Amino acid sequence: MRSGTAPSTAYDDRPYTRGEAVDRAEVGVLVQSAVDGDAAAWKALVEGLSPLVWSVVRAHRLSDADGHEVYQTVWFRFAQNLGRIREPEKAGSWLASTARHECLKVIRSLTRLMPTDDPQVLDRVSEDRTPEQTLIDSEEAAAEAERIRRLWQEFEELGERCRQLLRVLMASPPPSYVDVSAALGIAVGSIGPLRQRCLRRLKARLEARGAL
Amino acid sequence: MNHQNHDGVGPDRGRDADRDEFGEEAFDEAAFEADFGAGLLEEELRQAAAILDPVPAELRQLALEAYALHDLDARIAELTFDSLVDAIPVRGATDPPRMLTFRAGELTVDVEVTGEGLMGQVLPPQSARIEVLGGPQAAAPVPVDDMGRFMSDTPPAGPFALRLRAGGDVIVTEWLRA
Repeated sequence: MRSGTAPSTAYDDRPYTRGEAVDRAEVGVLVQSAVDGDAAAWKALVEGLSPLVWSVVRAHRLSDADGHEVYQTVWFRFAQNLGRIREPEKAGSWLASTARHECLKVIRSLTRLMPTDDPQVLDRVSEDRTPEQTLIDSEEAAAEAERIRRLWQEFEELGERCRQLLRVLMASPPPSYVDVSAALGIAVGSIGPLRQRCLRRLKARLEARGAL
Repeated sequence: MNHQNHDGVGPDRGRDADRDEFGEEAFDEAAFEADFGAGLLEEELRQAAAILDPVPAELRQLALEAYALHDLDARIAELTFDSLVDAIPVRGATDPPRMLTFRAGELTVDVEVTGEGLMGQVLPPQSARIEVLGGPQAAAPVPVDDMGRFMSDTPPAGPFALRLRAGGDVIVTEWLRA
């Protein structure tokens, strides 16, 4: 693992990928401004909280089609309820919990659960030319991409509970434990210890593979 | 959303409450952070997710456009029954219709969604204008009779809501995945 003092320059221009937490007071203000007609406030809410919603969807391993519909349903309902949300500063938890309930509904509606073993996910670094990847053109960046791919692979092979928790925790900006609790239906107090165990397990896997 | 952590990877994100309540656990967590940099590993995962599994651009766009669905003048009819959640499955029924009930005050809307389309009834019976919404931009009117019965032969292709104009009110049902 590279040291914390040398962040990858290739991704530095990505918004919300580095240690910024969603500030709850600010979320409350943004919700109120959006209610009052401020489209920029709505945009800021989408930018700041959409990775959380997406993480919750992905944590539940829905098919792409189902996942996309859940994500849309959550945002449509959030817009619909905007002026009626009782605690605007908890909008993150509202979104996370709505996403969770919609995911569980989808899972219930399927006669059997089809996990999203989307092989593309692992191949995206080398195949899809998303804007991020056009940046990866030097040898150094290729090595970085390989490292990230291996990290992701080990993450995907963690047990279901750990995979789910870490997928939500890695939303960007980092969700609060209260939001994580709403996203997964686990007690706030047990998230810290679980997180420790899961990250330790992931680190052990990486070390076993010589990937660290 | 510019709240900065001390070092960008630390566990400082509203966990102080846990810390007071679970002092010992918090100590373990702090020790663990120092031990092998769990926060750093989590941050690496965050970067990996941003690259390998980001929010699809078209979904982000739809979320932005969803602002148009914000309508303070409309009342919301809340979902009070969903066969997916509330009904006991019928043995042998392979593809049962989805039965939904929405309620706003005295007004009830029963909806049945099948592969062939949707049909429903406004109660108490009354004439109404009804549209099926399919997103921020999509609205399709459906025919309604004097008794408030309506039918559409197009099944919803994704999340949908019904917008009703009845007795001077505008009522929108909660958004739902068909």
